[in-house]
Amino acid sequence: MSERILEEQNRVVRHGGIELAEHWIIALSGLVLLLSGLFELPVAARYGIISIPGLAWSGDFITSLSVHYAASVVFIAASVFHLLYHGLAGERELLPQKGDIGTSIAVIKTFFGKGEEPPFGKYLPEQRLAYLGMAVIIAGLILSGLVKTWKNVYAPDMSHAVVLWATWLHNIFFVLFVLAFVAHIGAILLKPNRPLARGIFTGKIRLDYARHRHPLWMAAIEGNRPSPPENESSSDEALSGTAGAAAEAPSATQPDSAPPPDPGAAESSTPATPPEAGRNGE
Amino acid sequence: MESKWILNRRRFLKTAGAAAVAGTAGLLEAPKKAWAGEGKLATLIDLTRCDGCRDLPVPACVSACKRIKTGTLDEPVDPIPVPFPSGKVEDWSKKREVSDRLTPYNLIYVQKAQVESNGEKQALFIPRRCMHCDNPACATICPFAANHKFENGAVVIDADTCFGGAKCKTVCPWEIPQRQSGIGVYLKVLPTLMGNGIMVKCDLCGDLLSQGKEPACIGACPQKAMAIGPRGEIMARAEALAKGIGGHLYGKRENGGTATLYVSPVPFETLSATLKPAPGRPGLYPVERRMEKTDGLGKAVLAAPALGIAAGVAGAFSFISKRKNRLKGGE
Repeated sequence: MSERILEEQNRVVRHGGIELAEHWIIALSGLVLLLSGLFELPVAARYGIISIPGLAWSGDFITSLSVHYAASVVFIAASVFHLLYHGLAGERELLPQKGDIGTSIAVIKTFFGKGEEPPFGKYLPEQRLAYLGMAVIIAGLILSGLVKTWKNVYAPDMSHAVVLWATWLHNIFFVLFVLAFVAHIGAILLKPNRPLARGIFTGKIRLDYARHRHPLWMAAIEGNRPSPPENESSSDEALSGTAGAAAEAPSATQPDSAPPPDPGAAESSTPATPPEAGRNGE
Repeated sequence: MESKWILNRRRFLKTAGAAAVAGTAGLLEAPKKAWAGEGKLATLIDLTRCDGCRDLPVPACVSACKRIKTGTLDEPVDPIPVPFPSGKVEDWSKKREVSDRLTPYNLIYVQKAQVESNGEKQALFIPRRCMHCDNPACATICPFAANHKFENGAVVIDADTCFGGAKCKTVCPWEIPQRQSGIGVYLKVLPTLMGNGIMVKCDLCGDLLSQGKEPACIGACPQKAMAIGPRGEIMARAEALAKGIGGHLYGKRENGGTATLYVSPVPFETLSATLKPAPGRPGLYPVERRMEKTDGLGKAVLAAPALGIAAGVAGAFSFISKRKNRLKGGE
């Protein structure tokens, strides 16, 4: 676990190299799959997509199938790796927890100025729900896609009922995947969430932001968890194990523990209240 | 759709046994019941026998096919929605009588080839319809699984779920499926933006096969130029026939193999040279199965979960070991 506080930089490491690699490999191969899958519908020639420079191949179903296959190898291997690597390591921070639905609704209300956000752990409750949703969609796409691939390569005359199920599930999950992708991007664009965007590129987010909005996570990293814990998983042992010397542990209710002098901190100003600070996006 | 292809094993064994006995009766005697059984079927088209029904205005196989398929398609709506942006409506409903090419209302037609072989001029007649390929791209890449290859070898388009996007026609090396606009489920979705009718082609008369009868075209042939039967038997017959006349086979390897075997006394290159392919009038050229090039990647896709499992287990093992070491104070 690579989570650690970098006081000097006003940063906290939220994702390690493996998580970043997983995210981007799945994201980029997923986008290639989305596009090449779309081109498996007879749309490219009809709607002139083939005349867009670089997309002349889109009208050829055999070529787009090859592209789809190539991206699938990467997408499937990365997804299965993700499931096993984190599953076997006992990392369950992204799995939904009791009360996540209610809390998510409360958080969404705060976006419209109603109420205040509760203190968060590493992930927002709606992130955990979205993760499960995306995981189900990806699993559905992979399983139905594998059946379709088996049919293409080995068994064109397999049971029509199986082929119909696989095909239509693949199509339905494709639509859900597009919707989930749009929702994912939409969530990042929401002002309170914007400080998190940096994390998926560099692995780090602003320490002052994390202390305000994710105090439960910070406390866990610093080995001084407030009780009762909102969440966190069995992998906390690892977290406490790595909880470095670190600074004084700020509590969820003490957001003012001063961040070090840092340009990032200057941008966001020293937070006066947790929600405000969290929303001073970059 | 599927139920009509579910065939009874006992009936198959019984009829296949009978066919094996009857098979010795004559090379081109269609086995009367074998093709109603389970297992793969194939058809044989003997060009030494087909004479194009010179005495008839329309060859018997073509008339029989037209007759049995009359009324099987819904009537197109009027007016037919104009697809955006091409504006191209394909309406054959007012030209149903056309019999000299493939149309949605004419699923078999007979080509005539004037050839010179061994210094002799001769006319050959070639019934043309769907070849029912062994691994048909038209079916495997249908985005709605509306087109499917069934266990008996017949490749069948389901008119109820076909959107008429013509993807099957695009990938068919002979461009066999023909489109009729104004019919189909696309009318209930986005008729001007998605789909453009239904695709229609020979379905090997699945309804007749399920009743233990032979396809209409085969039954109607006065020359007994066509036969249907268990695949192995038909393959053996075709090869024996070709060998016997020093002839040639088409359909055995084309597009990765098909369930239709043509036997010709003249080389297919010669025939092909005289036939000018046109819409609805396929050629007899050599055909490679284009999708074969994707099979390697397809196998890699099927292996990808194993790759992910191996990497995930190895990665997790390494991670857990490191964590244990850290907890023991190793770090």
